[in-house]
Amino acid sequence: MKGYLGEFEEVVLLTIASLGDDAYGVSIKDEIERRTDRSISIGALHSTITRVEEKGFITSFLGEPTQERGGRRKRFFELTHTGKVALHEMKNLRDDLWRASKTNLSLAK
Amino acid sequence: MKREHNIKPPRLATALLEWYCANASIEDLQGDLDELFYANLQRTSVFNARLKFWLQVLSLVTSYAIRKRKQKSAFHPYSHSPNHYAMLRSYLTIGFRNLLKNKSYSVVNISGLAVAVAVSLIIVLFIAQEFRYDAHHANADRIYRVHYEKKFGSNHAHMAAVPAVTGHSLQQDFPEVESSVRFINYGTYLVKTNGATENIKESYVLWTDSTFFRVFSVPLVAGNPAHALAQPYSVAISRRMAEKYFAGTTALGKTLVLDDRYTTTVTAVFENIPTTSHFHADILISLAGDWPAAREAKATTFANNNFNTYILLKHGTSAQALEAKLPAFVEKFAGPPAPDKVDRLTLMPLRHIHLHSNLRGELEPNGSITYVYLFALVAAFIVVVACINFMNLATAHAGRRAKEIGVRKVMGSLRSHLMRQFLLESFIITLAAFFVAVGLAHLLLPLFNTILQTELMLPFQTPFFYGALFAGALFVGVLAGAYPAFYLSGFSPVNVLKGKLSAGLSKGYLRSGLVVFQFVTSIVLIVAALTVNQQLDFIQNKNLGFEKDHVLLVKDVYVLRPNTIAFKNEVEKISAISHCTISAFVPVEGGSEFPRRDRTFWKEGSAPSGDNLVSLQQWSVDADYIATFNMQVLQGRGLSNDFASDSAAVVLNKAALRQLDLGANPIGKTILTFTGYNTPDFDHPKAFVVVGVIDDFHFSSLKETIAPLALFLGRSDGFLSVRFAGNPQPVIEALEKKWKQSAPGQPFQYVFLDEEFGKMYASEQRLGKMFGIFATLAIVIACFGLFALSAYTAKQRTKEIGIRKVMGASVRSIIVLLSAEFSKLLVVAFVIAIPLAWFGMEWWLQNFSYRVALGVSVFAVAASLVMCIACLTTWYHSYQAASSDPIKSIRTE
Repeated sequence: MKGYLGEFEEVVLLTIASLGDDAYGVSIKDEIERRTDRSISIGALHSTITRVEEKGFITSFLGEPTQERGGRRKRFFELTHTGKVALHEMKNLRDDLWRASKTNLSLAK
Repeated sequence: MKREHNIKPPRLATALLEWYCANASIEDLQGDLDELFYANLQRTSVFNARLKFWLQVLSLVTSYAIRKRKQKSAFHPYSHSPNHYAMLRSYLTIGFRNLLKNKSYSVVNISGLAVAVAVSLIIVLFIAQEFRYDAHHANADRIYRVHYEKKFGSNHAHMAAVPAVTGHSLQQDFPEVESSVRFINYGTYLVKTNGATENIKESYVLWTDSTFFRVFSVPLVAGNPAHALAQPYSVAISRRMAEKYFAGTTALGKTLVLDDRYTTTVTAVFENIPTTSHFHADILISLAGDWPAAREAKATTFANNNFNTYILLKHGTSAQALEAKLPAFVEKFAGPPAPDKVDRLTLMPLRHIHLHSNLRGELEPNGSITYVYLFALVAAFIVVVACINFMNLATAHAGRRAKEIGVRKVMGSLRSHLMRQFLLESFIITLAAFFVAVGLAHLLLPLFNTILQTELMLPFQTPFFYGALFAGALFVGVLAGAYPAFYLSGFSPVNVLKGKLSAGLSKGYLRSGLVVFQFVTSIVLIVAALTVNQQLDFIQNKNLGFEKDHVLLVKDVYVLRPNTIAFKNEVEKISAISHCTISAFVPVEGGSEFPRRDRTFWKEGSAPSGDNLVSLQQWSVDADYIATFNMQVLQGRGLSNDFASDSAAVVLNKAALRQLDLGANPIGKTILTFTGYNTPDFDHPKAFVVVGVIDDFHFSSLKETIAPLALFLGRSDGFLSVRFAGNPQPVIEALEKKWKQSAPGQPFQYVFLDEEFGKMYASEQRLGKMFGIFATLAIVIACFGLFALSAYTAKQRTKEIGIRKVMGASVRSIIVLLSAEFSKLLVVAFVIAIPLAWFGMEWWLQNFSYRVALGVSVFAVAASLVMCIACLTTWYHSYQAASSDPIKSIRTE
């Protein structure tokens, strides 16, 4: 299912967008954990990253070697145009649904 | 960020990750892990940080991310990723180029394998057919045939037929028996439709019960299985018969006349019984009613073991349990057990009959599981011999590939990659060989069908066939290619690139061992072929006690009644005919066509008991019998019409004389037998006076010792046996003319005694021919290999030969030098093969009571044959190498 976007995938894509130029494995993980208050493993994160990369929503490139990582390079991620379009479509769908069900979703008793 | 430099991530975990990921690129992941670890160190304890690191590593190892990265990086020729497909294609290209580059090598490999595979394919087809026998019956696993072992006095018989009463009584006494059916074979019948004038002889006729269609799954074309054969004088016929006698009309309800005597109604038409059935019936006659066989079927005593009886067990009942209850059942009929007496009923599963049963009273000659195993073994050996060629040549030619292997390794190929490459190459060769083999098998099948008397066909319509072929090619490819792949891929790149390869190769113990194995197989097969044919020769030429040549048998002379004697007198007038005799008994064996009759006798002056009762063949003959078959009268005289007393006279053979214990001068002595048919009458024995003794003659197969036999003067009009001189054709024409006059409308049928005699050994003749073919193939394939191997050896020693020649060696001495290596291997092969062949052939010859001695000559012939062929094969290359110009060979560098 090429176009389908899962919940966690959406979160990962939006986090990458929010991190801008500094989106790599650890920073994405930290950001999601900070915002959602849930603990995610590096394996699960990278699996999702691999999947959204296969779907063509993000691209990646290797950065410069850094001291704190024992000279190892970081792999940075950024959204592609397709990725942005997919996020917008998802948001539009949500907005439409929210508009349609505003009264029913009202938390006021 | 504060750092504690002495604390590092757990080494085992990093090692595990690196090992697991092999050459996948995971630099960024490792970086992420390290970064997280050091971040955790700031927050928690070292232990916790380490634990988390481990968990993260495990989460990665099991993750999709790593799996994907590994797939991308892994060198994997069988993966579907386009990158690896390219590598696979490269292997294929290289493989094909190698095939084309070394054409002779490829031809040897492919043709050797193809011949072996073609023969194995045919044998596998044959074996598959043998195991398919009787599988078409839906209840096959619940049908059992009842066998009978009977022993009294010196008589011991194991029979496939039981008394008439058995089937029905079993069904009555044991609730687990659902149904039963019997067959009785009364031989051939003359058949015609109502109103037709010409009879046609039908050989496949059985009498059976109306339960036939319930027990066996023989589909009906017309008629109701529940009512067919239920009425007296009803028959069921096969589709073949229906088409023959009632072409174009429905057969159901029509009339068939049997033997000009019985008018029967067709109540069912059944589908032709398939080849893979242990019985074949074209006409089934009902055992209901009151006609000859039907009367016998109603007998209630436990005598006359003439009915092949099958029982159908109910679902979920055990045949073993039933078998255990059978001794008590037999006792009811045959009386309590006595020390010198055995009466035992056993059950044989339907599907075992064809391959495992060879008893007295079989409906048709069956197959033999021993020959099935033997053929399977030989097929396997021939394939192995061909695979060995492949292994030998591949390792011998390793030098050609050594540089390539070295370069590949230097460029980063792993051993496993090279193994894959070589296995793929061997698979290309086997696949090509299989293609050729299928074509070859298709061409060879008619030949094998003639020898094996089968109608085998390659199942081109079955998809399974292609799957099996592919699987076979894969198996043989791995079998032949595994060792070379293992061997070639093991070269050290430094050594091969330096050219130090030959030192490691010169040992070649394994190669020698494989050559020895090939020749052992060839020699054993040659010895087997020679011995079987020698035994067959022995049978053909043995003094049988009668003369089998120039005797012609006219069949079914009983149809001439009451003019049989008149016909005989007419025949005697034909000038080329010296003697003729009428008797149903002739000295060959062959199922229902040639009947046998036993009767128990004892010597006058003693009371009959288990000790002195002798079972004699009781043959009714006329006065010309002994003269016609040219048997030798040792004492007294033959039977004669000139003595009125000869109606109570008997002529014995030597075996009968010995067993009856009549002493040195038996003429004039009397032997007695019981009268009465089903129940022996002890008070009124019948007496016969011995008037002559004839030499023993072989009236059954040479597998059996000659049994006691007695000739009586009596009427039994099965055959008119004719001894003629000269060309048989005019004799046959004259006989047919006289037959047509005496018996208009009856088929004139004749056979030659020597041909019928030959048929007794049909299965041995088949075996002889098959071994001949196998032996030829094995040696041809082995020589293919030897030819290529000698080419290689000669080439490898080019320089040595050149130097020898410069130093003054003659061409002859060099040929001797080169041949010596192979000669040694041959000698070893002889040493191993001779005892193997000896034991094998001794075992086979034990089947025969009269057999050849295993002579040295057979082994000598086999040895010199293999030696000659091997020398000729190696000689060509040796001679070329030895006679080449030394200047050229030394200059090659």
